[in-house]
Amino acid sequence: MKKNLLLPVAAVFVSLLFFACVKDTDFDQAEDIALTPVIELDLIYFNLTASNFFDSINNTPILTVTDTTDIRFLDDAQIQESLRRADFYFKFSNGIPRSFQVDFQFLSETNDTTYTTQTNVTQGTPQDPVITEFEEVVEGDDITRLTAASKVVVSVTIPSSNETLEGTLNLQSKTTYYLEF
Amino acid sequence: MRDLVTCIIALWAFTSIAQNKQLIYGVEEIPQSLLLNPGGKAPQRMHFGIPFLSHLHVNGGASGVSVYDIFGKSNVDINTRIRNKIFEMENTDFFTATEQLELINFGWRAKNDIFFSGGIYQEFDFVFYFPKDLAILAWEGNRDYLDYEFDLGEVSTTGDFMTVFHFGTNKQITDKLTVGARAKLYSSMISYRSTNNTGTFVTRLGDGSVNIYEHTVQNANVTVETSGFASLRDLDGASQVTNEILGRAFFGGNIGLGLDLGATYDITNNLTASASVLDLGTIFHSNDVESYQASGTYTLDGIELIFPPLVDGQGTLPYYDDLEDEIEREIPIDTLTNSYTQMRPLKINGGLTYKFGRIVGKGGECDCRNPGGSIDRNQSVGIQLYSIFRPKAPQTAATAFYYRRFTDYLSAKATYTVDPYSSSNVGLGLVADIGKFNFYIAADNLLRYGNLAKAKSLSLQLGFNIKFDEE
Repeated sequence: MKKNLLLPVAAVFVSLLFFACVKDTDFDQAEDIALTPVIELDLIYFNLTASNFFDSINNTPILTVTDTTDIRFLDDAQIQESLRRADFYFKFSNGIPRSFQVDFQFLSETNDTTYTTQTNVTQGTPQDPVITEFEEVVEGDDITRLTAASKVVVSVTIPSSNETLEGTLNLQSKTTYYLEF
Repeated sequence: MRDLVTCIIALWAFTSIAQNKQLIYGVEEIPQSLLLNPGGKAPQRMHFGIPFLSHLHVNGGASGVSVYDIFGKSNVDINTRIRNKIFEMENTDFFTATEQLELINFGWRAKNDIFFSGGIYQEFDFVFYFPKDLAILAWEGNRDYLDYEFDLGEVSTTGDFMTVFHFGTNKQITDKLTVGARAKLYSSMISYRSTNNTGTFVTRLGDGSVNIYEHTVQNANVTVETSGFASLRDLDGASQVTNEILGRAFFGGNIGLGLDLGATYDITNNLTASASVLDLGTIFHSNDVESYQASGTYTLDGIELIFPPLVDGQGTLPYYDDLEDEIEREIPIDTLTNSYTQMRPLKINGGLTYKFGRIVGKGGECDCRNPGGSIDRNQSVGIQLYSIFRPKAPQTAATAFYYRRFTDYLSAKATYTVDPYSSSNVGLGLVADIGKFNFYIAADNLLRYGNLAKAKSLSLQLGFNIKFDEE
């Protein structure tokens, strides 16, 4: 009797351990797991005064001012692979009584132009600056070109200028990055 | 490093509240019960474990999520399920894995009636708290969370791989009271921890600021302390890493000291109380220590272009490099090699047992050698409490049990445990004494064995010993 009890109990218990199973699961779904964060990040900003557009020493107008910055995260291999869409948002506040043309030229490490965009800024007055907003949505094949770039050249062009010109052109900007890992 | 991560994930995948051995605690037939309460009763005259087979314990769990929750067959998209889980889980939810493998275990009763026991076991212990805010940030990004302060301090994790050498004494000092103590020497092979972190990250719409947003890391202080990792970096391949780590098993790494204490008290001859405190100890990490600390406050608002007048052939200012330098200056990541001490996770057990049924073994109602002590009976019921001190808070489990000795050869213990993982954890342990051969196996969460994927935690203990009973 004593031994009769041992075997069945042990057998049931051990078989329970052996026949334990994992079911109703589908691990292939792991392939479909995708992180899709949407990241808001500041880009560049500047404050240009009217005096930036006039060379007071040589008494000549400067019609185009240019500056360049690296944005090295953009051509990072991970970003190249994961970036699906980028929405650029530029907000100009123009207190200079001139309209402007602003060019954004994205360059690769070897200074090849990979992507460009351009906008016009409405003229304002020092007392009453005018806001111009510009949005650029980059997606599809353009993303490949954009993420080939590691720097951006910003050129601001004024149609005419003189030494009495007054006011400030301000830019604030941000980018919304749609990523998928 | 990648091999190590794979190992950790594999261990986690294969394997309740960590280290709760509710099925073995208080079961005198199993010599390893003395490791759970050095002041437990040891009825045998002598025992030794079969090397490498005397005790294997594996256990893994996740308090907030099961495999089924994520990978179960369902019409709901897996990403939606993950997202729902991220929002459902709390930052006090955790993932944990523990493994113990006994190399040697022995014990004997000396002439002065003190029971000595000792041995060596290897232990792996890992806990990772769910950093909810960072998970949201990674899953969703910051666009929909403007002004929300993501808590960087939710990062809290520890991991240890060590060998433990122990030696304990146990004595019945009065008819009713048995006490015991066990000294432990820890030989840490590899260890890391990141606890007590602080800081927040927030993106706010700039109000009168220079750019559209302000991205601010506020009062960050995030530390990762490691010991035994730095020297692995120069090694090549998994086999070299494995050899190096295992080479530290016998005092090749860092050393620590600890103490277990326990007692059993027979309140009446059928009511017994017991309690133990385990791993009251510290490991001193001084060899091969490398710690990383990032601290500071910084607000990012983009890159300001200042359009300097350009001379031909001369580049503009290195804005991006300057920005990187500024961030490194404001939130420096320091690498320290200062030694540090680490408290072992303290564990507390308590139990109350009521015995009933047929009288078994030696000692009857009128056993002159045992006038006030308890009388062994073939059945008992009781409650047990277990608590382990983890970085954020103690994790506690409560167990009700029924124990029955079927024959001299076979005993069983069934448990019902309520812990952070679930309130329906049923476990069963069996002990067989066949001649001098002792075998035990215990597993919990049996209700989930029909589909392990639905279990949030599992634990399994088994082992083989040779026991010599009192003449």
